[in-house]
Amino acid sequence: MTDKFSSATGLGEIDRGAARVSVDDKAMINARADVNQLLPLKYHWAWEKYLAGCRNHWMPNEVPMQADIALWKSSDGLTDAERRMVKRNLGFFATSESLVANNIVLAVYRHLTNPECRQYLLRQAFEEAVHTHAFQYICEGLGLDEGELFNMYREIPSITDKAAWALEYTRHLEDPSFTTGTTQKDQAFLRDLVAFYVVFEGMWFYTGFAQILSLGRRNKMVGIAEQYQYILRDESVHLNFGIDAINQIKHENPWLWTEDFQDEVRRMLFEACELEIAYGRDTIPHEMLGLSASLCDQYMRFITNRRCTQLGLAPVFPSDVQNPFPWMSEMMDLAKEKNFFETRVIEYQSGGALSWD
Amino acid sequence: MSTLTASPVRTHDADPQSDEAIVRIALPSGALHPIDYSRLLAQVEELCAGVSDISASQIVEEIRRNVYDGMTRREFDEAMIIAARTLVENDPAYSYVAARFLLDRLRREALGAFSDLPEQVTHADMARRYPGYFRSYVLAAIELGLLDPQLAEFDLDRLACELRPERDLTFGFLGLQTLYDRYLLRAPRRHVDGAIRGDDGVPIELPQAFFMRVAMGVCLRETDREARAIDVYHLISSFDFMFSTPTLFNAGTTRPQLSSCFVTTVQDDLDSIFSSIRNNALLSKYAGGLGNDWTPVRGMGAYIKGTNGRSQGVVPFLKIANDTAVAVNQGGKRRGAACAYLETWHIDIEEFLDLRKNTGDERRRTHDMNTANWIPDLFLQRVEADAEWTLFSPDEVPELHDLYGQAFTEAYLAYEAKAARGEIRVCRKVRAVDLWRRMLTMLFETGHPWITFKDPCNLRSPQQHVGVVHSSNLCTEITLNTTAGTDGSPAEVAVCNLGSVNLANHVDENGIQEERLARTIRTAVRALDNVIDVNFYTIPEARRSNLRHRPIGLGLMGVQDALFRLRLPVASEAAVEFADYTTELFSYHAISASVDLAAERGRYETFEGSLWSKGILPIDSIELLAAARPEKDLEVDRSQRLPWSELRERVRTIGMRNSNLMAIAPTATISNICGVSQSIEPLYRNLFVKANMSGDFTSVNPYLVADLKALGLWDDAMVRELKLHDGSIQMIDRIPEELKQLYTTAFEIDAQWLVEAAARRQKWLDQAQSLNLYIAQPSGRTLDRLYRLAWRRGLKTTYYLRSQGATRVEKSTLRGTDGRLNAVAAHLSRSVSEPAMCSLDDASCEACQ
Repeated sequence: MTDKFSSATGLGEIDRGAARVSVDDKAMINARADVNQLLPLKYHWAWEKYLAGCRNHWMPNEVPMQADIALWKSSDGLTDAERRMVKRNLGFFATSESLVANNIVLAVYRHLTNPECRQYLLRQAFEEAVHTHAFQYICEGLGLDEGELFNMYREIPSITDKAAWALEYTRHLEDPSFTTGTTQKDQAFLRDLVAFYVVFEGMWFYTGFAQILSLGRRNKMVGIAEQYQYILRDESVHLNFGIDAINQIKHENPWLWTEDFQDEVRRMLFEACELEIAYGRDTIPHEMLGLSASLCDQYMRFITNRRCTQLGLAPVFPSDVQNPFPWMSEMMDLAKEKNFFETRVIEYQSGGALSWD
Repeated sequence: MSTLTASPVRTHDADPQSDEAIVRIALPSGALHPIDYSRLLAQVEELCAGVSDISASQIVEEIRRNVYDGMTRREFDEAMIIAARTLVENDPAYSYVAARFLLDRLRREALGAFSDLPEQVTHADMARRYPGYFRSYVLAAIELGLLDPQLAEFDLDRLACELRPERDLTFGFLGLQTLYDRYLLRAPRRHVDGAIRGDDGVPIELPQAFFMRVAMGVCLRETDREARAIDVYHLISSFDFMFSTPTLFNAGTTRPQLSSCFVTTVQDDLDSIFSSIRNNALLSKYAGGLGNDWTPVRGMGAYIKGTNGRSQGVVPFLKIANDTAVAVNQGGKRRGAACAYLETWHIDIEEFLDLRKNTGDERRRTHDMNTANWIPDLFLQRVEADAEWTLFSPDEVPELHDLYGQAFTEAYLAYEAKAARGEIRVCRKVRAVDLWRRMLTMLFETGHPWITFKDPCNLRSPQQHVGVVHSSNLCTEITLNTTAGTDGSPAEVAVCNLGSVNLANHVDENGIQEERLARTIRTAVRALDNVIDVNFYTIPEARRSNLRHRPIGLGLMGVQDALFRLRLPVASEAAVEFADYTTELFSYHAISASVDLAAERGRYETFEGSLWSKGILPIDSIELLAAARPEKDLEVDRSQRLPWSELRERVRTIGMRNSNLMAIAPTATISNICGVSQSIEPLYRNLFVKANMSGDFTSVNPYLVADLKALGLWDDAMVRELKLHDGSIQMIDRIPEELKQLYTTAFEIDAQWLVEAAARRQKWLDQAQSLNLYIAQPSGRTLDRLYRLAWRRGLKTTYYLRSQGATRVEKSTLRGTDGRLNAVAAHLSRSVSEPAMCSLDDASCEACQ
């Protein structure tokens, strides 16, 4: 027998002659089954998300930035308020993608004891790298001050507050002696998943998307807007992998999902929403065409409620909060004809993926 | 609340619409002008007069959401437009509202360039002002050096009387925004009321003046030029026909480059390669798409006599052509305006297939250039026989590229025998099926290279007596000869001037309006023939070929609209028959018009010896293809309905004005101007976004909406369902079956129907068509069947293969989550309140599958 820690990570001694893995032995956390054996699959949803992630592959340098550069450098292309928003927005994302990646690689991966979920995590980690690449590409393309951009998470309080809030939850797990297996620790793991998948990727990124896409709908900063649309497509899968993972853990370990714990998660989402509202006000101190901090507040409440529903929780805000940005339909919801997704390079399918028989 | 408050005065809580804060517009003087919402409502109502099914108060509500205190007038204009745009998904009529708002701004700008104006110009004011404005505009634009001074020689008053101001109201938003952004002439600003992008200047052309300017430019050399210009003006301002973009851009200006397409062939020496690249640069400078035949350039490993070294092949030169296209196309706005063609036996073909991949050596990638396969029949025959295929370097098989039909097969077999004897340095055998699958795989993955067929392009070419079709063009609808100009004969760059008939305007519930169609085609052919003479040619090789052969490319658009009006589903035998009959009429009247022009203006120079001169019309040239292919390899319908023998006789005896006549172009932008479906394309989705340079535009199928309104089914819930199902109605239970069949979308139909309809059109065309195909699920077998069918049906070319993105994002504007991206139930099984919960052991539960 190997010790518990090693079998969870997959780094333990090889268990010679052990019984073969059966689907029933597989589990999201604290699994007894060998984590190195992908097949037989248990969580088809995780595998499907892995495939979807691969199919969505894109690289930032495929998106032309000429129009953005011309607009950014022209004296009257953007108002001061719009410029400030773009910079703060990029400043938040530039390091956030790295924080999210760290959490996957250094915290979540060790404790999620299922190979198909890990397969997805590896894909996701790469996508976070692509997103960080996108911010590097934008920063260099527009000739922004890289020191300013990449230090915003330490220098702009409203950004620092968000990052610090989330990091608390990673820190618990990063401790090498931390292992799941008790109710308390399993709940700590769930909290981390909530903080990163639901809050970071599922709430905080969304204000950022709305801000940039509101420029995009006016045909401004179209290159960045296009990259955000790609990122959003990836993040949609990330978020929903997190939601599915949390719900799956709940099903397997219903004792973790106590009334108190549910209240705690709702409190987390509420706090996260407040942090985001503060950040929104900081980013958009002055109104601009089609966007204001108060509309962003309402949007964040709408998104928070949505996440509650996905986790099976009662909404945190009055349930009639609506999305104040109906135009997002055009930027996000509807299928696009021409020049966007449908001519995408879908690299994974080279060679074997097309079936000829 | 005081209007003097310095800080932003609006405060929103839960309901941002309810606040009564005053929002002010900053005037250029620095004064702040508060928005009076009741006046705004009246103004919106005035602007929207005649647009049904819209709510002015809902528009004003939406405007309030977008405005802020201290905005410029320009931003306020934009706030109005984006408010109306947001509502388009609820009713397509809002697209007309947004267009009216933009028109209001355009009127103020264009009229303001010539006089001081009141705040707003009503429709009635405008009708009075148009003639006077038109005169001032023409003269001022000549003064500014924008228009050809000859335009002042027209009887401007006579033309001004013909302008139809009410046609300004027929634009949808996408159409008018497209004109506004790129087509209307601009002049340096006189009145600036706020910051706008760049130094574009202010538009001085109103839409009817624009159409008249184009008509005048095209009719400059007509004897009765006013009457002809008036004909052309009515033709285009009614959207019955539209010229291609370069003609619309440049007609009547001081630099009238009016041609859409240029096709060249590159010879196998450095001089020719670099002069081709230089020509590419010059040709694309004034808006024109390029097709380049690269097959003659020797392949990797071929011997270079001058240096005793070995060639790097064609790919590094393609990279230069790619970068040239990027460099010349300003601001990245027209990237990808070139297409490289390579014939399937070229030794570099495999690398050519990879040019658009986003992995691999970047020095051997052309991300901004299109690519296309030029495929001989023999290759497809080898694929069908699962035989081998030999790749050569063109320097060792010099005549192969110029041959087609039986002559090609004989020469190819002889070279294969020579290779077998070891007498060819650079050659390689591959399994034809493997290469074919790789072509289709790359087409699926990268959208490139397109699949085009060399033999039908040549065997059916009316101009085969004076040259060879070496490739098609940027959009695969042009099939003209090109000559490199070695061996003493002068080089010829093929040129084509395009325009498209809007079929939607020529049908009513009884079917096609033949008289109207004939009239449209007659005027259109004459106008396109004019273009050849008034055109400004950037390079002499283009001028020479265009004046000698006088090819034009008359196409079609709005085909899907026409089918909807006749209530024919795209995927039906009736739609295939419709394609056949309409194209037959189209072909008949186009040829007839060219014969009439020949009688009036003379035959084109190289008419003698052409298929036309032998009485072989496009419908007859199918037999030439049939003679070259075994019977099993050509399955084409050949039925006819019109009195062709009379026309054939007139063609033979009177002659033709134009060597080539018909080519169905993609009409990507001009169909938007006219507000109809692109070219021969099926409906993309019932609700979707058209993304282009001017931004994203929501498009909702107006025919579906009208039908659903009639049934009382068009409501908010329907909009949400359409959105949830990505614009498909197939899963919406309350929609009747008949509508589901009629409004099937591009990815839902079997693409074989598109090939069948295209085959019936190709019967009648002397050139080709930009045929896009769609594939919903990745399947090699489906692709293989589809493209072999295209070949067997005698198609000359195909264009993009469209596939779909892997996943969609969470729908942001639907109430609640659609749950489509989640597979695990959110509620625990012990809960009893939620019926959709699931037990993980229950294999029949869909939630986890």
